Amino acid sequence: MKDVSKNALQKIKQEKVRPYPKWHFVFKRSVIWTLFCFSILTGSIAAGIAIFQLKSAEWDIYKHLSHSFLECTLLIIPYFWLFFMIGFTGFAYYYFRSTGQGYKYNTLWVVLGSIVLSIIGGGILFTTEAPEKIETIFEDEVPFYRMMQNYKQKIWMSPEQGLLAGKITKIISKQKMQIKDLHGNMWVIDTAATTWRGRFLPAENLRIKILGNIKCKSQFIANEIRPWKGRRDKCRMHHKKRCECKNARQMVPE
Amino acid sequence: MKNYETMPDEQLVQFSLKNEDCFYFLIKRYEIKLIRYIKQITIVCQEEAEDICQEIFIKVYRNLNDFDQKLLFSSWIYRIAHNEVINHYRKNKLLSKTISLDIVNSSGNSLASLLYDPLDIHEKYTSKKKAETVRKTLAILPEKYREILVLRYLEDKSYKEIGDILRKPKGSVATLIKRAKSKFKKQAETINLMDKY
Repeated sequence: MKDVSKNALQKIKQEKVRPYPKWHFVFKRSVIWTLFCFSILTGSIAAGIAIFQLKSAEWDIYKHLSHSFLECTLLIIPYFWLFFMIGFTGFAYYYFRSTGQGYKYNTLWVVLGSIVLSIIGGGILFTTEAPEKIETIFEDEVPFYRMMQNYKQKIWMSPEQGLLAGKITKIISKQKMQIKDLHGNMWVIDTAATTWRGRFLPAENLRIKILGNIKCKSQFIANEIRPWKGRRDKCRMHHKKRCECKNARQMVPE
Repeated sequence: MKNYETMPDEQLVQFSLKNEDCFYFLIKRYEIKLIRYIKQITIVCQEEAEDICQEIFIKVYRNLNDFDQKLLFSSWIYRIAHNEVINHYRKNKLLSKTISLDIVNSSGNSLASLLYDPLDIHEKYTSKKKAETVRKTLAILPEKYREILVLRYLEDKSYKEIGDILRKPKGSVATLIKRAKSKFKKQAETINLMDKY
């Protein structure tokens, strides 16, 4: 039987093994905590966008559709962002467990804690315009995400059921305008008895959603007009320019 | 003149950082324990267990500055040993087949006797043959159950210490021990180990 301790000490001396410096471990711990915070922050952004999508979803339009409320709810749930949030909750859990004391906590509490932190963070972010801006970037830059959002187009392209969406191409008069719908068809919209939700002004290139009914071929009577995206209650008149700008970058295909 | 042999582990760590010779007194305390632990959870022979133990000691030395004073040094060194054994397992698949013949703890008590009747240790002292049966039972247990039984009943570690070694919450340790005991008993029944006691 060898004297393992003696041999180990000899090897340490011969190979001039030195203990890693303290800063090496401080740095390692800092990296882990940073990655944990990053995961929570990313989860918060995802939660913020999910809250934004749920808040700006049109829960009232299911009455116009052949879908039931449950079907509409299933269509509206922001799966992408919820999965995103859950994924980053997983990362947050992993990094938390890798911290010095992280292993002492029950898995369920750590996961629930990470989700709650993400939702709180998301709620705080929701009060800013960040979720809307990030979602717009995704719509503009990520084709996969654009494809996932197609259901919104499908819902709003049901003129027979009183739903129409498109881009304003021309303001004909105070009571009439022309739009190009999401399929590229031209429509003349009667806005005489329209409620403008969001208190924005009609402008060319503005993307809108219309609730109403077909008058005759290519003519549509609008009962209500909403901006294509965004918070209907926050799109104020004095933000008109910003709204137009924002809406001009929407995902509606040309 | 300092008496390194009676100095607490945690204090000896501080001295080892300043003088590597002090490290010898620290690791000498764990040499036999760790070699036994390695042999209990792997299939390695004495020589190989000693080599793994040497690697563990070098790793411990390299990471001395990472030692968390909130932990017991023994928990910390066992954690490093556990990780090192896992690394060896990944390299050589040492854990899955069978385990050492010396399946008794430092007092010479078999795992089976401790599991079935921990109060009656002397009466249930096992022969080498019985130890062999226990060895077979443990060998067919999944590695996570085997290791936790070894730590609890052969290394006499508390739930907190086991949690610190395996990096698991206390509650999970309790659950794992309960499951491991139940698995062990089931396996023992299938090979008629219980009749022998």
